[in-house]
Amino acid sequence: MKKTILFASVAIATLATSVAAEDLKVCVSWSNFREERWKTDEAAIKGALDAANAEYISADAQTSATKQLADIEGMITQGCNSLIILAQDSASIGPALDAAEDAGIPVVGYDRMIDDPRAYYLTFDNVEVGRMQAREVLKAQPKGRYVMIKGSPVDPNADFLRGGQQEVLQAAIDAGDIEIVGESYTDDWQPANAQKNMEQILTQTNNGVDAVVASNDGTAGGVVAALTAQGMEGIPVSGQDGDMAALNRVALGTQTVSVWKDSRALGKAAGEIAVALASGTAMADVEGAGTFTSPSGKTLTATLLAPQPITKDNLNLVLEAGWISKEALCAGVSGVAVCE
Amino acid sequence: MSRLLAVLLTFHMLGTGGSARADVAFAPVSLPVAHEYSGGWTHFVGGGVAVFDCDGDARPDLFAAGGSAPALLLRNTSDEGAVSFETAAFPEIVETTGAYPFDVDGDDLLDLVVLRAGENLLLRGDGTCQFTPAPAAWNFDGGTEWTTAFSATFEAGQDWPTFVFGNYVDETDPDGPFEACDVNHLMRPAGRAFGPRQPLEPGFCALSMLISDWKRDGRPELRISNDRQYYVSNGREQMFALDPLREYTEADGWPTMKLWGMGIASRDITGDGLPEVALTSMGDQPLMLNRGQGVMEPAPYDMGTYATTPYMGDDGRPSTGWQAQWGDVDNDGRDDLFIAKGNVDQMPSNAMADPNNLLMQQTDGRFVERGDTAGVGSVARARGAALVDFDGDGLLDLVVNNRRAPLEVWQNVTEGAGHWLAVDLRQPGPNTRAIGAFIEVRSGDRLQTREITSGGGHASGTLGPEHFGLGAAEQAELRVIWPDGQTGDWQRVAADASVRITRTGGEP
Repeated sequence: MKKTILFASVAIATLATSVAAEDLKVCVSWSNFREERWKTDEAAIKGALDAANAEYISADAQTSATKQLADIEGMITQGCNSLIILAQDSASIGPALDAAEDAGIPVVGYDRMIDDPRAYYLTFDNVEVGRMQAREVLKAQPKGRYVMIKGSPVDPNADFLRGGQQEVLQAAIDAGDIEIVGESYTDDWQPANAQKNMEQILTQTNNGVDAVVASNDGTAGGVVAALTAQGMEGIPVSGQDGDMAALNRVALGTQTVSVWKDSRALGKAAGEIAVALASGTAMADVEGAGTFTSPSGKTLTATLLAPQPITKDNLNLVLEAGWISKEALCAGVSGVAVCE
Repeated sequence: MSRLLAVLLTFHMLGTGGSARADVAFAPVSLPVAHEYSGGWTHFVGGGVAVFDCDGDARPDLFAAGGSAPALLLRNTSDEGAVSFETAAFPEIVETTGAYPFDVDGDDLLDLVVLRAGENLLLRGDGTCQFTPAPAAWNFDGGTEWTTAFSATFEAGQDWPTFVFGNYVDETDPDGPFEACDVNHLMRPAGRAFGPRQPLEPGFCALSMLISDWKRDGRPELRISNDRQYYVSNGREQMFALDPLREYTEADGWPTMKLWGMGIASRDITGDGLPEVALTSMGDQPLMLNRGQGVMEPAPYDMGTYATTPYMGDDGRPSTGWQAQWGDVDNDGRDDLFIAKGNVDQMPSNAMADPNNLLMQQTDGRFVERGDTAGVGSVARARGAALVDFDGDGLLDLVVNNRRAPLEVWQNVTEGAGHWLAVDLRQPGPNTRAIGAFIEVRSGDRLQTREITSGGGHASGTLGPEHFGLGAAEQAELRVIWPDGQTGDWQRVAADASVRITRTGGEP
């Protein structure tokens, strides 16, 4: 709409094709750097840029979608060769893509989808997360009555996860081995809401539940609390995120799996893709590039990283990665090898 | 009764007048009751106030929505320089979300439109702060929806108002609440009564509506601010032409904008006569600058109005804005912006201790936060609010209705504030309060333009004298552009007074 006004000062047309990697500047626009988790991602991005002798420039939008546009405009004038954007609000990031396009700068949409084919989409494969959750629960409980505790109804990831779960469970449902006896979204992904919903389902089914596919560790925590209140803790429950409390539950045996998305891998991939794009590589020619169909039907060039399911059998991975301390992982745990 | 009636209050502010050096200050006012806006999910939103003089004593009285608790009416008993209230008898009405004062039947006595989660009510005022249900002959249909927004106007040639009601989530939708926004409704006149309600679609969970002649072409249009929390993705901020009723699209040059829209505040702050709009949301609180020709563009980030996160405390999460309200609280001649803030209830993505903003406009047009030093940075879950001079001392006072926390009133005790003017319009019925008029106030090289509207805010309406800060000017010139476009002559008035401009007959 008003990109010509907002970005009137931008008149740089960067032709990156022949620029050597050591001259590259990669600009990163963070949505809110006060959120602790992005520091890990940043270190990994910097590591990848260092390896390519590329310069790292960053800005923190501090949760302001408007500041993010101003940040990106400012960084473009500093001569970025590519942009990594963690969008505060993907619905209002459009003018930043217009500005980048006008300046000839490729964009990587980091972790949160920018629903625009001009941006390369890099994230973990959320459908695969859902598959992994269902696969581990199904392995532990091949037959019986299942409950699906989904994420926030306004988060498209919640439906990606649910779709992956369904793919894995469909055959067992068709064969009559498992039956879904309860299903619920979780407003705002809040554990308290998941607990409330799980309590209702337990009441409705007279505690006739054998396994719970919960979509993340927060909701899994609410589910386990509801189960514990009925003396049912220990039935299979899935989760995701590698939360400290969830990994401890995996060690304790009250949660079956936490699908872990190692943000170091995501940051490293972002740095590498940004350097490749800045060096003139076409989006489709980036190593590992695939396509992703967004919920609105757009085809995005994308890399979807494979997550890692963490179960009682491979807790050593999170320990060895320094993701969690042994004290946190093993609190109250006995009889698990990594905790001995 | 045709002439300008200037009532000089002979009250002059101390100090040099118009100084930008005045440190704005507010002092809490103790109220006769502890009133809270309470209730469950249907009262996560709403919590409006209505400020209007219901007994003709030139002291604006105060209605506060109560949610599941009864609504409250406070009669203003202030003496100049000392704000005070007493409780007033009022029908026991529960499930209120907000209210707007309006003279429906042209008797120059203010009536009250009460918004509810459930049937809306139209109460007829008798000029003594007694309210009774509107006569059946008015044919008011209160519906059954969860109403959270309102705006009203008089359309050309009509002698009865047009009302618009904004409804939130359709609670009867079994697939809700997400993507289950209810339709809105328009009530046009049928003679001297309302005709049947017409659906106003699509609805995207409206939390504020404002009919305003924002293009200054004599054809007021309806802006609707909508909550993305429940329309999810397939919704937008809306603008409708009223006659014929039609929503603008991108093809008309109306850009798609998605907000957690909670409130609308309209005011020309650039001095070109075209009203800007401050919109409230989660995170950024967008100020849209009116560039003319129907173009609104977001204010530059460094203008200082975005108020994205709390300015006090250590909570870096985005804040949640509700009422936005313009007003010159230090009478320096530049409008300031108050934003009521507070978490929806326990929403973990947003700040929990979320102080109200008082953004003071500087000489360079930028805004600086003074909510903390002024004493109005309450971290209660604020909702509706109003900036009104309760005690007639020329300083805008403040009322804020809070969810699950007591109603707050502050008296403006700023020392060394500038000069001021209050302007109250009257014209023969039906539109006695001149909804749709513009007041222009000229002092030095500054022109202030004020549109008389009904609507906007967050479920909160104020109807009464319009307050203007004049800075160092001890007099000003003013004129009125009446709703039919007829423009009065410039008239010189002394500062520090409340002025009533009464138009003679002759309205077409």
